[in-house]
Amino acid sequence: MKKAPVTVLRLPRGPDPNSRGFDPNSPRFIALCPTSIPSSAGEGACIEEEQRSRSELRERFLRTLIKMSNKPVNFDMYEGVQVRAKFGASDIDVLNFQVSELQTPIGVQKEALLRCHDMISFSFDV
Amino acid sequence: MHGWCERKPPEWSTYLSKLVKVTAHSNQQYEGWVFTVDPVSASMVLVTLPEGDRAHVRVVLGHAVESVEVLQEENKGNTLRLASLFLAHGAEALSPEELKKRRQSLRQWIEKNHIPVKEEGEMLRVANVLTISSPYGVDDCSSSNEIILSRVQSLVQSNPEHKH
Repeated sequence: MKKAPVTVLRLPRGPDPNSRGFDPNSPRFIALCPTSIPSSAGEGACIEEEQRSRSELRERFLRTLIKMSNKPVNFDMYEGVQVRAKFGASDIDVLNFQVSELQTPIGVQKEALLRCHDMISFSFDV
Repeated sequence: MHGWCERKPPEWSTYLSKLVKVTAHSNQQYEGWVFTVDPVSASMVLVTLPEGDRAHVRVVLGHAVESVEVLQEENKGNTLRLASLFLAHGAEALSPEELKKRRQSLRQWIEKNHIPVKEEGEMLRVANVLTISSPYGVDDCSSSNEIILSRVQSLVQSNPEHKH
């Protein structure tokens, strides 16, 4: 991996004003971004239990993200691509990650957005 | 996994603290103790705890999970260790005397910078609009006034008594 910083590449614009899948009105974003949470139809106690475990699971996940902030993280993407970057933040739906110092085969990208749907897994040391 | 993302939180909870082997896309396999499954993305957070070394955390994105196999049931020792890894957010538990010393040292530093402050039990009340609670770090400042908050936070940060 080259360590030299690269300037931001300006690619030709796609057909939409905000192409490449980040536009909230794009079909891709709408398909990936649920507007409601599916839950089991049932009586109160069932829903309550579901809510309780949902909260506990989500809180643990948020703590994982906190633990990851500003640490170097290795991302295993599709097609055997592996990159390393300093994790900054995630959006609420875990669709995009903001990272810095992204090491790529063409150099180091100072700031970047990674699409979570392009990843298989990512890892870091605590 | 067909349906992994569609499972409900109580089902995902059954995997907590278990040792699992997850098969993901491209035949990648990962083993680890389950810390959580994110209910929004169905992503699994797996932790491996090599003895004496730093713990390694791997998150497998929900959409890439193909199968999950339970290798070992919950183990009390590991569950505690997992919890302490994430829930302790780096803060060491301080004794009441140490906390008192920190509080007093911070109060003196704030006074030195000509800002009125008084101790109210375990809290510091600064200029009547901001409170600092235990353990008196930058993130323990609370106020509805953004300007004073940021001013006091940078003061707390620059306290020569507590460089860490």
